[in-house]
Amino acid sequence: MVVRDRGWRAWDGPVTPTSRRFLVLTRFALKDVFESRVFLAFYILCLLPSAAAVLAIYFSHNTQFLEQFGGLDSWFAKAPDWIFLHLFGWQAMPAFLVAVIVTPPLIAADVGNNALGVILARAISRREYVLGKAAVVFLLLSPITWIPGLLTFSLQALLGGGQWTIDNIRIAVAFFVGHLVWIVVVTTLCLAVSAWIRLAAFSRGALLAIFIISAVVGRLVNGVTRSSIGDLLHLSRAIESVVLRFFGAVPPSALPSPANWLTLAAVVLGGLWVLNIKLRAVQEIR
Amino acid sequence: MQALTNSTNFQSQVGVGSRSTPPLLEIQGLSVRLGGRTILDRLDTTVTGRIVGLLGPNGAGKTTLVRTLMGFFPPAAGNASVLGRSLATDSRTVCSIIGYMPEDDAYISGMSAVRFVRMMGELSGLPPDAALERTHDALTFVGMGESRYRKVGSFSTGMKQMVKLAQALVHGPQLLLLDEPTNGLDPVARHRMLDLIMDIGREGQTGILLSSHLLGDVEAVCDEVMILKDGRLAGQVDLASEHQSARVFVDLETLPPSPQFGRTLERLGCSVDVRGDGRFRVELPAHLDVRSIFAAAADEDLALRRLERTRDSLQDIFLRAMEGDHGRS
Repeated sequence: MVVRDRGWRAWDGPVTPTSRRFLVLTRFALKDVFESRVFLAFYILCLLPSAAAVLAIYFSHNTQFLEQFGGLDSWFAKAPDWIFLHLFGWQAMPAFLVAVIVTPPLIAADVGNNALGVILARAISRREYVLGKAAVVFLLLSPITWIPGLLTFSLQALLGGGQWTIDNIRIAVAFFVGHLVWIVVVTTLCLAVSAWIRLAAFSRGALLAIFIISAVVGRLVNGVTRSSIGDLLHLSRAIESVVLRFFGAVPPSALPSPANWLTLAAVVLGGLWVLNIKLRAVQEIR
Repeated sequence: MQALTNSTNFQSQVGVGSRSTPPLLEIQGLSVRLGGRTILDRLDTTVTGRIVGLLGPNGAGKTTLVRTLMGFFPPAAGNASVLGRSLATDSRTVCSIIGYMPEDDAYISGMSAVRFVRMMGELSGLPPDAALERTHDALTFVGMGESRYRKVGSFSTGMKQMVKLAQALVHGPQLLLLDEPTNGLDPVARHRMLDLIMDIGREGQTGILLSSHLLGDVEAVCDEVMILKDGRLAGQVDLASEHQSARVFVDLETLPPSPQFGRTLERLGCSVDVRGDGRFRVELPAHLDVRSIFAAAADEDLALRRLERTRDSLQDIFLRAMEGDHGRS
C-alpha cells in the first residue's frame, strides 16, 4: 500500500505543451467509448463491409479457385466496379450510426454538471475543446471509412496493375475526400445537436430526425414547386450528390454541384455557430 | 520527455510568498458588462496578501471578478494582472497558473474522482504519470479515502466540494480562486474546508483568493480582504495588521443616554463611533486607559451601563464599507 504524506506542495516539474493538451480530452473520451463491450462489438461489425470488399477484390483476381463453385467466378470477375460503386454507402451508414452513438455523451457529460467551466479554466480554448471532441469522432470513423476504402483500392491497384490504377485514381480521391466531407458534416452536426440538447438520448433522436425531416421537407418542396430546389434542404441527397460526383457517377440531385456544397456548408457553419453559442465556460444570463 | 517543457524557472519567477514577486492581483480600471449591465465598474486595486478574501453582498460582482480573472468574461475596459501576468496579453499563462474552484457543481458524473481529477491535471499540463501521482496526493490532501474510486455523481455535496478543490489543486497552481468553497457544507465539513485552505496558504507557494459572502469564513482564514459593493471596491483591509495592531476598542453605553458624552471622549483624544442613543464604540489612544472613561463619565455625572473591551471585527469593517458611498447609485 502506498503511504502518502497528507501535505500540500506545488508542482515544479515539467509540463506538456499547451498546443497538444486538447488531445487529453480525445484520449479520455476514446477510453470511455471502448469501455462498452456492446459498442466494441458494433464497431467491429462496422468493419465487415470493408472486410467483405477486400475479400471480394481478392477473389475477383483468383477466379481459378472460384471455378469449382460454379458461376461464382464470373460474378466475382465483375466485382471491383460494383464494389467501388457501393462500398462508400456501406461504410457511410455505419459511420453515421457510430457518430450518433458516440458524440452526444461526449458533450453531454461535460455540460450536464458544468464540468465545461473547470475544463475551460485550464489553458485550453473553446476551439481546442471542440477540436478534442471532434478528434474522437474522426479517429473512430476513419478506420471504418476512408482508411479501409483506400486499403481496398490499394489491393485492387496491386492486383489490377498500373494501368487500372491510373485509369481509376479518382476512386481513391473520391474515397478520401468524400469520406472526409461526410465526417466533417456528420461530426459538426452531431456536436452541435449534442451541445444544444444536452441529453444524450434526445440528441440521438434529434440527429436521426434531422436527416429524415430534411429529406421529407426537401421532397415536399420539390413536389410543390415541381423543381429540384428542395434538394437544398435534403441533407443526405446533398452529401450523396457531392460524393457521387467525386466518383464520376450521376448524382441524384438535379441541382448544380455548388448548390449541394452550399447545403453542406450551411450545415457546417450552422453547427459551428451553435457550438460557439452553447459551449461556454459559463452561460451569460441576459 | 522531449515534448515536455520545464516549468521550474517559471515557478521560481512567480512563486507566491517571496518579497521579489509581483503582487497577487493588480487591477486597473477593470469594468465588465454583462447582458447590458455594468457588473464591475472601474475596479482599481493591488492585492499583495497571501490569502485574500473577496467579500460583498449577493450581486456585488465577486463571482464576475473571479470569472473575469479566469478569462471567461472579456473586460469592457481596464485590465488585470495575476502575479505580474496580464490578462489582456497573456491570458493563457494566467489560466495555467490558476486553480479554479467554481461556486456551482462542476464535475463529470460518470467519472470516478480519480479519473476526473487526473484528467484535469493532464489538461493543466501534467504528464500522465505525474498527473496520476498528484491526483492521489490531492485527493489524500482533501481527505478522500477509498471513495475516490466511486463515480463523482454519487457523492454527497461535501465530497463533491472536496473533489472540486482537488481538481483545482492538482496541477500545483500559484493562485487558487475559490468561489464560495463552503457552500452547502455542514459545520464539520465547513471547518474542514477552511482548515484545508489555511494549510494551502501556510505552505506559502500558492496564493488564495477566497470569494465568499460569509464573513466568518473570510475572517478565519484570510490575511487581506477586498470588499465589493455594486461592482466597485468598497474597502480593502489588511486583516493581519489589523489583528496585530495594539488598537484598543471599547463598546460602552451611558445611563442616562447621553449623546454629548461622545464629544467629551473626542476631546480626550478618542475616536468615537456613535452607535445609538448613548451607545458608542471608542478607540482609545495609547496614552489613555479605561479608567479615563470612568473618570470622564463621573465628571458628567453619568453611569456606565456597559463597558466592554472589543476589537474591530470584520463585520464592523464590512458594515462600514456597506454604509459608505463607494458603490453605484
